[in-house]
Amino acid sequence: MDSVVCVKRVPDTETKVQVGPDGRRIQASGVNHVLNPYDEYAVEACLQAREKAGSGEVTVLSLGPAEAAQTIRQALAMGADRGVLLKTDPACDYYMDPLSVAHALAARLKTMRLDLLWFGKLAIDDQSYAVGPAVATLLGLPCVTEVAEFAALPGRATATRVVEGDRVRMEVDLPAVFCASKGLNEPRFASLKGIMSAKKKPLETVDLAQGTARVEVVALELPPARQAGRWIGKGVEAVPELVRRLREEAKVL
Amino acid sequence: MSLDFALSDEQQALGEAIATMTKRFAGRREEFIQMILKEHRFPEELWQALCEVGLLGCLVPEEYGGNGMGLLAMAMGLEQLARRGLGNALLVLGAMDACCIVRCGNEEQKRRLLPRLASGEDKYCFAVTEPNAGSNTFRIETLARKEGATYRLSGEKTFITGADVADRMLLVARTTSAAECEAQGLPKAFGLSLFIVDTKARGIDLKPIPTHGIEGMIQYTVHLDGVEVAQEDLIGEPDQGAMALFNSLNPERILAAASALGMTDYLLERSCEYARGRVLFGQKPIAAYQAIQHPLARIKAQSEAVRLVTYKAAWAFDQGHHPGQVGPFANMAKYLAAEMAVDACDRAIQTHGGYGFSEEYGIIYLWTTARLLRTAPISQEMVLNFIGEHVLELPRSY
Repeated sequence: MDSVVCVKRVPDTETKVQVGPDGRRIQASGVNHVLNPYDEYAVEACLQAREKAGSGEVTVLSLGPAEAAQTIRQALAMGADRGVLLKTDPACDYYMDPLSVAHALAARLKTMRLDLLWFGKLAIDDQSYAVGPAVATLLGLPCVTEVAEFAALPGRATATRVVEGDRVRMEVDLPAVFCASKGLNEPRFASLKGIMSAKKKPLETVDLAQGTARVEVVALELPPARQAGRWIGKGVEAVPELVRRLREEAKVL
Repeated sequence: MSLDFALSDEQQALGEAIATMTKRFAGRREEFIQMILKEHRFPEELWQALCEVGLLGCLVPEEYGGNGMGLLAMAMGLEQLARRGLGNALLVLGAMDACCIVRCGNEEQKRRLLPRLASGEDKYCFAVTEPNAGSNTFRIETLARKEGATYRLSGEKTFITGADVADRMLLVARTTSAAECEAQGLPKAFGLSLFIVDTKARGIDLKPIPTHGIEGMIQYTVHLDGVEVAQEDLIGEPDQGAMALFNSLNPERILAAASALGMTDYLLERSCEYARGRVLFGQKPIAAYQAIQHPLARIKAQSEAVRLVTYKAAWAFDQGHHPGQVGPFANMAKYLAAEMAVDACDRAIQTHGGYGFSEEYGIIYLWTTARLLRTAPISQEMVLNFIGEHVLELPRSY
């Protein structure tokens, strides 16, 4: 069972993001980066599939700056076998829209042998939800998104999607693309032993030939600061007024 | 000529691994911090996660189930934990025990004990202090008498951290009493032996000591009344345990310094965050006042210096330098880190004003933890004695 998992280096969710001086991207300094949390579920799914099948390789593919090698190493430390980095050019620092990313990944993926192709369902930095399905389209592979349960069989796999109000179980022929949702599994931690052995695992870096931007980020703004709370009243008497305001002002009821 | 301060890829990965691991518990961070500092308990889920990451395996070679990354890696890991407000004394104690077993244990003992220590399946504490022997270890009175293939241990240990949660303890006892040593003209360092003792063994009685400051653990008085310990659980040669014991004190001091560094970062971050949001006069937050800002900036500068000494000490240990060469840096790191942590906590309280004392903000809990570092694992005065005597080559002062 050979798998490829596509991962992205994203700002740590615990980082307080600041808008950079150009007003179009986040301030790079002082930002910790991590393996996109949804991709952790995808990596774990590949490792479990390999363990269950008793053979096969897990390849980690990432598109990003040179530092993304560190993110690939994190997945290697979890237990993946090899890594490929499609390195972006720092001199060509424009926003790559999801389809451009998908084209670049697909070009490489076409050369790779795989049964399973995993993505996190979204990257927490731009939340486009798009790259996984776009790659599946470009490769002409079936795709299941929002995967919350998964089992691989020889040549086939079952995947359960959790959608609003119900769960849909699907069977799909392999190779296929899967996008991991939260709760799919409990990703293992990268152990120190894993970190040491990750050092010896192959990591290929390929310079990415970049085109020109098709989608431009015009402005980046922080969400408005949260307003201070208001006292509506105390005790049971306050409830009708609270309900009224939730309905009329907040419009959440 | 080059001097490289860059972190290696593995060291960076270690930081990220701890970050990823603690992030998994991000929603429960406050609950964990309260548990550690207020209830003196350590969350078992977090312990299991630390084991899975393998922080306990740093000082255990790969052939015995560890990862062999060394003390610097462990110090960095501990620092990363502490900077998220998550301290754990048992990690330090386990590291000391690992040091002793790695250096002095025989092959059978290493194979039997180290894999379970490294994986965290067996928790280890450390028992040396006695009511009449604190800074002067040679005065310990707990006696181990040989009876055939076993030893019988009797005596009393005190301030034993985590004796209730530990499965085993590395215990220092005399196999030759101080009186016998004196009578035979043997040096006072002679006669100390190291034993691995099951904390649930017959004849052991634990009494909690209500203390403040230890993170996630309770301290105990351990009474030993004829506790039977098999000969296989004597680590190293009988009567020759002093050297192994002293070798493990350097890592203890270095790891204490690393914890203090992380704690300082945590306090600085909390202070800055509070000061940025607190507006009292006009429109400016109190962070804009120099009286608030400068002390925090001073501590930040200090912390970079302390980090260098601490890493240097850990590096010297990992290089296999003689304990006598590691000692000066280990002691200096511990001294500077403890003073800094107390200072950082004092400034954090001052920055928070009245909230600095509130249980809700939790800063006040760290006050005893930071202050403890000036007394334990070794007092600042004993550190200065060491530096005076062994580094400056001045006359022994006590």
